Amino acid sequence: MSLLEVNDLTFRYEDGTPALRGIDFTVEEGEFIALIGQNGSGKTTFAKSLAGLLRPTTGRVVVDGIDTARKGVIKELVRRIGYVFQNPDHQLFNNNVYAEIAYGPRNLGIDDPERDEIVREAAAVAGVREALFTEHPFFLTKGLRQRIAIASTLAMRPKAIIVDEPTTGQDYRQSAEIMNFLTRLWRDEGHTIIIVTHEMPIVAAYAQRVVALCEGRILLDGTTRDVFARPDELRRTFVKPPQVTRLAQAWGDPAIPSDVITVEELVDGAVSSIAGRSSHSPAGISPGAEPASPRGPGREV
Amino acid sequence: MPRSEFAKKTLLGVVPADSPFYAFHPVTRLTLLLVLSVAPMFIDRPEINLAIIATTFGLFWWGGVRMSDLKKYRLLLVTVALFMFIVAYLAPGEKAQLTPVSLAGLTLYWEPMRWAFVSYVRLMAMLFGAILYFSTNRERDVLVGLRTLHLPFPVSYVAGLSLRSAGMFMEDFATIREAEQARALDLDALSLREKVKLYTMYTVPLFAVALRRADEISAALYARGYTLSGQPGTGGKRTDYLRDKFVVRARDWAVSLGLLGTLVVIAIVSRTTSVFSVQSSPLIAFVEQLLGIG
Amino acid sequence: MNAIELNGVTWRYEHAEEPALVDVNLAISEGEFVLVIGPNEAGKTTLVSAIKGLIPNAITGVLKGDVLVFGDRVESIKPPVLAKQIGFVFADPESQFTALTVEEEIVFGLENVGWPRETIGERVEWAARITGVEDLLDKPPYDISGGQKQRVAIASVIAMQPRILILDEPTAMIDPLGKDLVVRICAELKNDHDMTIVVVEHNIEAFAPLADKVVMVNEGRVERIAPPREIFRDLDHLLARDVHPPQVTQVFGRLRERGLYHGELPLSDEEGFAGWRTLLDGAAR
Repeated sequence: MSLLEVNDLTFRYEDGTPALRGIDFTVEEGEFIALIGQNGSGKTTFAKSLAGLLRPTTGRVVVDGIDTARKGVIKELVRRIGYVFQNPDHQLFNNNVYAEIAYGPRNLGIDDPERDEIVREAAAVAGVREALFTEHPFFLTKGLRQRIAIASTLAMRPKAIIVDEPTTGQDYRQSAEIMNFLTRLWRDEGHTIIIVTHEMPIVAAYAQRVVALCEGRILLDGTTRDVFARPDELRRTFVKPPQVTRLAQAWGDPAIPSDVITVEELVDGAVSSIAGRSSHSPAGISPGAEPASPRGPGREV
Repeated sequence: MPRSEFAKKTLLGVVPADSPFYAFHPVTRLTLLLVLSVAPMFIDRPEINLAIIATTFGLFWWGGVRMSDLKKYRLLLVTVALFMFIVAYLAPGEKAQLTPVSLAGLTLYWEPMRWAFVSYVRLMAMLFGAILYFSTNRERDVLVGLRTLHLPFPVSYVAGLSLRSAGMFMEDFATIREAEQARALDLDALSLREKVKLYTMYTVPLFAVALRRADEISAALYARGYTLSGQPGTGGKRTDYLRDKFVVRARDWAVSLGLLGTLVVIAIVSRTTSVFSVQSSPLIAFVEQLLGIG
Repeated sequence: MNAIELNGVTWRYEHAEEPALVDVNLAISEGEFVLVIGPNEAGKTTLVSAIKGLIPNAITGVLKGDVLVFGDRVESIKPPVLAKQIGFVFADPESQFTALTVEEEIVFGLENVGWPRETIGERVEWAARITGVEDLLDKPPYDISGGQKQRVAIASVIAMQPRILILDEPTAMIDPLGKDLVVRICAELKNDHDMTIVVVEHNIEAFAPLADKVVMVNEGRVERIAPPREIFRDLDHLLARDVHPPQVTQVFGRLRERGLYHGELPLSDEEGFAGWRTLLDGAAR
């Protein structure tokens, strides 16, 4: 059984605005997925539907066997899939950090001493020092509040976590910290991670699978390399691949695979291309004149 | 995302994209609101208030308001009716001076019931007048109407800011509810007492968001050269670009004065004659006859 | 006369123990495009708030030193006059949108400054056209997307035709192509209207090609001020400071380290393409 199964999901807001128009989607345990797409494409609505926070207008979302549209399943859902909102202020309900992290477990009916253990563990994993337990979250920095929100979600021990815009407004170091942390959760603790983001270099560096939404439908769904190899389609949802990918695609050099997604890969490709050239004496290469790279751009998704 | 071409969004719902109402200046539409909400106060006789309600509905239809959008007020109507009748039943007042009526085994008192009915119809007339106004006027129209009446700019601006904040507040509230759910709070499973306690929990994030926004909004206002008095930097009078886009025409004068005149007449008639009183109501008389009352 | 001058500026927020800015000296000439970079809480927003006069006029704390705008001390300029000289676009498009329609939002600043009707009409039309929001004029704030809101914010500020425009993380909430649109708007303002522009951004890649100067801020101090190609030259030093130049610059920087590339460091996709052709022509010999 897949962790998440979505069948023909549609969602309309109360005023009738359509947000999702018939989505079929599956997630297996242990994936690391990035949801991308333009403002208004339905990414956040989709993510919230996956977490069971929004009930489908038609269609079904099934999380680990549980239909999100059923009544009274919230506590069950929350143990399986957590959701971290973009703005920490929206999800901090208590006057001190400890109570905040303990809030979820309390609602789930977990008592001390087990609850205390869970709180300390979640805080440690999320990098929230115990010295902060008595502080009021409002006065802490945004990065810290975001981590407290993540700790609070982890405290419910979900198998899957959805994080809305983990790196927006963060500087390079903070972004790397959060993304490395999510990577550790994924790789070492076996969590399934889904992030919603606008930042393509982050997607390139961390996600295994990329799902691009456009006007409420899935436009592309594949590995990171496959999806970034389709820039024309990505443009339809106002997304462009990372700069190194764009450069490789524009240069069209046969020695450089067109699906590079990091600086190192492009440098290596460039170096081998130059090395290959210096032993011959070809004329200047013009872009697009050469056939596609050996590794091949995106297969059908 | 493609949105409905029929309607434009407002805080309370939608207004029609096109409507004969828009041919009139916002201040005229404001006058209509005034008359529709004040006139029923002078009228006890239910038939007349019912006629006002019928007229209002006629105006809904003429104005191009989607009748299905009005369905959301059904619950409100029923709730208010129940509330008023239950109050009249439970607290009738000096029973010795009232007329008892036996109905389905219960002893009801006629006068409070009658009062509840009359008041209910009056309230509905006023309410639908207000609903008509908010179904055909956007926030901008409300403020332009008020400023045409020479409401000082800072007052109008603060009113607008409050509306805007209310809008942001509602969105934040919805997000906070989802966030609570994401922390295993099952609203359906809570008892009433727990639900009430819950509302105090909302205050922490709502205040956090509101405080931060207040900071940001005041910085944004400063950055655009706003001074508290609304006085422009060059001295002199502040241009009101939006208000001046609307022109008061002859039809606006005609309709507004007509409406205000009608209101004055109603006020005078109600004070000097009994045409609008309960005693003149054939409907009430009919019901009293049915119940066997004097 | 410089457009902007900071002389020995030190600023401490009211309840803070440490100052947020320490002895900042900075001069920006008219028409320059300045990119301000650095880690979070380094003082970037504080720095541009000081230029705008939010500090000390709208925010409490202790200020030492001078901030001069076209030769005048910023504290002594009245808000409506200052708004005509310096525009400020905040990071969060939501909370700077205080009116009830897009048109009203753009008009607001113009009314504050005291322009008459005809001028307001022209300015609205101009600002809406440059930012591409002409079709949105009638819409309320809750009916448009984040990217559109940010463009409305820019429109409402540039409508006042300030000589200096400050943007604080303007592309944070916007999708990739939307970010490009903001950059193009800035380019048009710089090239066609000679505006002095100061941008605070983490997204260095988008703005580096436009910048005349890059200001690196760290722990309240201005560490370096230099044109982008110069600043991005020492890659390892920057990476150690968690500053990541555009990927194209990094790639060619590495190639240069290996002796394979000898030209100027490219800052944009186009320059990267040109750089690659140069490199190939060199390798072909």
